[in-house]
Amino acid sequence: MRKILLGIAITSALLTSCSSDDDSSDATKQIEVPSTYKFMRDGNSTVSFPGQTTRIEMAMELRSALGDNTKTAAELLGMFAHTEGDNDFSEAGLNASGKNIRSKVAASKEYFAANTTVSNQIKSLMDSWIEEQATIVFANWNTIATAGSAGQLQQAGGGKMRYVNAKGLELDQAVAKTLIGGLMTDQMLNHYLSTSVLDEGANIANNDNVIVDEGTSHTTMEHKWDEAYGYLYGNEIDPSTPVLNADSFLNTYLSQVDSDVDFAGTASAVYDAFKLGRAAIVAKNYKVRDEQVKIIRENISKVTAIRAVHYLQEGKVKMATGDVAGAFHALSETYGFINSLQFTRQPNTDAPYFTHKEVTAFMDDLMEGNGFWEVTPETLDTMSATIASKFGFTADAATN
Amino acid sequence: MLKKTALFLGLVFIMGCSSSDESKGGSTDDFDRSALLINLADNIIIPAYKDFGPKLVTLKSAVDEFVATPNQSNLDAARNKWLTAYKAWQHVEMFNIGKAEDLNEYYYFMNIYPVTVSDIENGVSTGAYDLNKPNYHDAQGFPALDYLLNGLAADDAGIVAKFSTDANAQGYKTYLTNVINQMDNLTQQVITDWTSSYRDKFVSSTQNTATSSLNKFVNDYIFYYEKGLRANKFGIPSGVFSTTPLPEKVEAYYNQEVSKALSLEALNAVQDVFNGKAFNGSATGASFKTYLEYLKVDRDGKNLSTIINTQYDLARSKINALDTNFSKQVKTDNSKMTIAYDALQMAVVYLKVDMVQAFNISVDYVDADGD
Repeated sequence: MRKILLGIAITSALLTSCSSDDDSSDATKQIEVPSTYKFMRDGNSTVSFPGQTTRIEMAMELRSALGDNTKTAAELLGMFAHTEGDNDFSEAGLNASGKNIRSKVAASKEYFAANTTVSNQIKSLMDSWIEEQATIVFANWNTIATAGSAGQLQQAGGGKMRYVNAKGLELDQAVAKTLIGGLMTDQMLNHYLSTSVLDEGANIANNDNVIVDEGTSHTTMEHKWDEAYGYLYGNEIDPSTPVLNADSFLNTYLSQVDSDVDFAGTASAVYDAFKLGRAAIVAKNYKVRDEQVKIIRENISKVTAIRAVHYLQEGKVKMATGDVAGAFHALSETYGFINSLQFTRQPNTDAPYFTHKEVTAFMDDLMEGNGFWEVTPETLDTMSATIASKFGFTADAATN
Repeated sequence: MLKKTALFLGLVFIMGCSSSDESKGGSTDDFDRSALLINLADNIIIPAYKDFGPKLVTLKSAVDEFVATPNQSNLDAARNKWLTAYKAWQHVEMFNIGKAEDLNEYYYFMNIYPVTVSDIENGVSTGAYDLNKPNYHDAQGFPALDYLLNGLAADDAGIVAKFSTDANAQGYKTYLTNVINQMDNLTQQVITDWTSSYRDKFVSSTQNTATSSLNKFVNDYIFYYEKGLRANKFGIPSGVFSTTPLPEKVEAYYNQEVSKALSLEALNAVQDVFNGKAFNGSATGASFKTYLEYLKVDRDGKNLSTIINTQYDLARSKINALDTNFSKQVKTDNSKMTIAYDALQMAVVYLKVDMVQAFNISVDYVDADGD
């Protein structure tokens, strides 16, 4: 049975050529959206993104460790900026890896190659959150938080315990939600899907002539595209047919956005664009490829914005009902999502929807004085409206 | 099962219509590449070497004198000549073409830093080393002289003692002599080649192929800008490519006060080549700049050659704001270092994308910073 399947898979990459006398461009080629993200060459899969899966797995372990009050700052920072061979993770494979999370935060070619100063600021801010989680929040794990001092707060109705810093911020949420933008979105939209990466050096010529990377079955361009794919779907059991909710990061929040009726179809739009763009690379049709990049950029950027507004509103509602812990949790999520807005990408431009300066101003507003303990519903509403209108949706739509 | 196979069949169905694609590369415009190559060779490259060569010879004499009579005044003289030659070196490092390339990268023997101190010290104490071997690239050249003349001991008396009263004094003398002889020998070979035969070969190779002079020179130029100037002098010490800053990786680390001066020389050299400015004077000739202007290359409605010069000037102003000792700058306020790096990086895109596209030249190397 296997053999039959394999044989069919080979013939599935069926090419029909027709000659034409005119100067018909590549645009006349028709490419169908493949049903799954499976691509083969000579019987071998050409899809590979182990580095992305590794980083998502590292981020998953870091995220749980940030909620483990027995960890030290050094241990947590070691997980963030892992060095090959260090015993930072529970998985031996991750410890052996030469990859780490920190070096790929705010590190895309198009946004940060000539902006290392800001990249360093973003990385250092995350370092400081991780450090504060261990030294301040863990140290006050069993005291009740009040305005101006760190501790625990329980959500209404016997709900979850939340552990916040002196300003009411859950630092683990700030870290996790910043990774959605700073690691996944930035690497995907502003690095691997950029023409400066996809078309770098001889990539086009090599892809045109099907010159594969040494020891692999893929061309460089195919691989770059797959690495973008991996940051979204790399933790799926079968990444070729994603089911979503497979990590605690972009993959899951794409699913959450998609389940809001106002934004239904976002997930399939992204998946289809990834498949079609990859098929277009195989077909050497870079126009179709770049159209898919536009679709991915627009939709993935929206995910961050919709969740930012969603949690701003949830925070406001819970605050009104007196559920302080619930409100702070929602606002902590939003805090990271807002930070992530600087990594979004307006299609057809080389700019984010909100700049580093603008998101820093939002974050400063939320942290002013005693932070979440003092923030007003008006501030949350104004911020919601500013973000939503920039992306062309309403705060109401994002609320469900 | 049948359903599944049907699914597979429909997996990738592509209808391709071939069309006669115009071939890429190889074509040239009517710009006189020969005039550009002649200006480079006669007014910049050869004069820069003719400036550097004698300065290196002077340094060799000073080093020989210090080895013969190790004392404070001879140490001062050797250091002085070292700096003069090191500055002149900044004007030729980018010319990794012809003999320089044939030597398996002349600059590998001249300016790989940081030095591996243990290689030098082992060599000194055992006498067993071969400066022609690749593992000694980072134990010779200007950086090795920097270590031997500035870094051997905490103070000058201690350094002089290493060459006079130390048990390994003879070993240090021999190592120092071998390093300067190697530098001098290779440099003379490169200069002789340019002034005897290579100059004509260089200027007559006016085609547009991967091995033509201009194609190689443009690649060398951009590679040097990206690696030798941007990365080595700024990016690596400020931690752009590592988890933490690495202040011990600055150029002329042991001297402690000239890393900025050397980097400014290098940037001037880069900009002068871009503008076709004569090494000995202010006259300008055919250059990347005039080539871009001939092709009327714009970016965002502005002249690309102006954009590049403005960016170089901006980078220079950022560098001027730094401490004379980059190592100290990295430790006190690294963000100023990364600001200078960022200003330099901005020009990479203009050179490596816009300029090479305009010249119809392929970049023959790729950064290796992916996964």
